[in-house]
Amino acid sequence: MDETQLIKGIQQGDRKAFQILVENYQRMVVNTCLGIVHNKADAEDLAQDVFLEIFRNAENFRGEAKISTWLYRIATNRSLNFIRNNKRKRFFQSIEETFIGGRNRTNEISETPTDQPDRNITDQQRADMLYRAIDKLPEKQRTAFTLNKYEELPYQQIAEIMDISLASVESLIHRAKKNLQEQLLDCYKKKCV
Amino acid sequence: MKHDYIQNDLIFYLDNELSVEKKMVVEKHLEECADCRSLLVFLQDGMQVIEKEKDPEASHFFYTRLSARLEEKPKFQAQSQWLQLLQPAVFSLLLVIGIYGGLKIGSNASFPKLNQPATIGIQMLNDFETEPIESFLLDKL
Ligand SMILES: [Zn+2]
Repeated sequence: MDETQLIKGIQQGDRKAFQILVENYQRMVVNTCLGIVHNKADAEDLAQDVFLEIFRNAENFRGEAKISTWLYRIATNRSLNFIRNNKRKRFFQSIEETFIGGRNRTNEISETPTDQPDRNITDQQRADMLYRAIDKLPEKQRTAFTLNKYEELPYQQIAEIMDISLASVESLIHRAKKNLQEQLLDCYKKKCV
Repeated sequence: MKHDYIQNDLIFYLDNELSVEKKMVVEKHLEECADCRSLLVFLQDGMQVIEKEKDPEASHFFYTRLSARLEEKPKFQAQSQWLQLLQPAVFSLLLVIGIYGGLKIGSNASFPKLNQPATIGIQMLNDFETEPIESFLLDKL
């Protein structure tokens, strides 16, 4: 089944076609979400939302772009929304705590995501340091950087996905790397890990 | 000075994105400078986190869970969209009520003070001008 047939099938509610699409693109979508949210369980939940959106809104697919472009767009948008909502939630929680009084903080700490419990502390700290640095990147830099580093996409394809010029992609990734380098070097000098 | 010049480009050196000339300059400096070498290793280890994290093993029950969710109606989503709209609306309303209440209380409270000598008022305003509001608030903490 080629892409057009696959989409046609999904538009007609064909579950088999949908399953093939999911199997073909599951790795790609989960990996993209992971590059933004840095937690495997969250990335898989988000990837499921992405495929549900595809199934329910298949009629919106015009066929001008590749399926992967469409999937990348939804995956990055949903992941960024997820981060935004989390930040908002944390903000309201901190307000709530200020006014209502501190809740059990130990609970929150134990809920910090750790996908690989056998990783030694230095690896975990190093990972946290990098995720914190990536978290601070502006959304566009973060999207371009993730697509380039996690999915190893060429700049031209990133430009299509983000609907921006090739020069903009180059500039976004360059600035993202500069920013990350600055934060990591700062961390090194201040011995933050 | 030279260290900074080198350190600004280490990430591009790692990604092999430097011009041949620049790369040679960086490599020559790295040979001589232990500080920049250890910084390079730190940066490399940091960026290596991505290589370790990406492309995780696929979950076996991904499609099973997904097809179970296909049966659900997208009711929850509609509900959460409502919540998303409601939350900022409630907070904005509280903010408006707060500002309005504050203005009301403020205007009531300031009336009797008008009878006091005008110089006191001016003195207070001048104090506010010289003292930024942040330090004013912090001093009281
Ligand atoms: Zn040096």
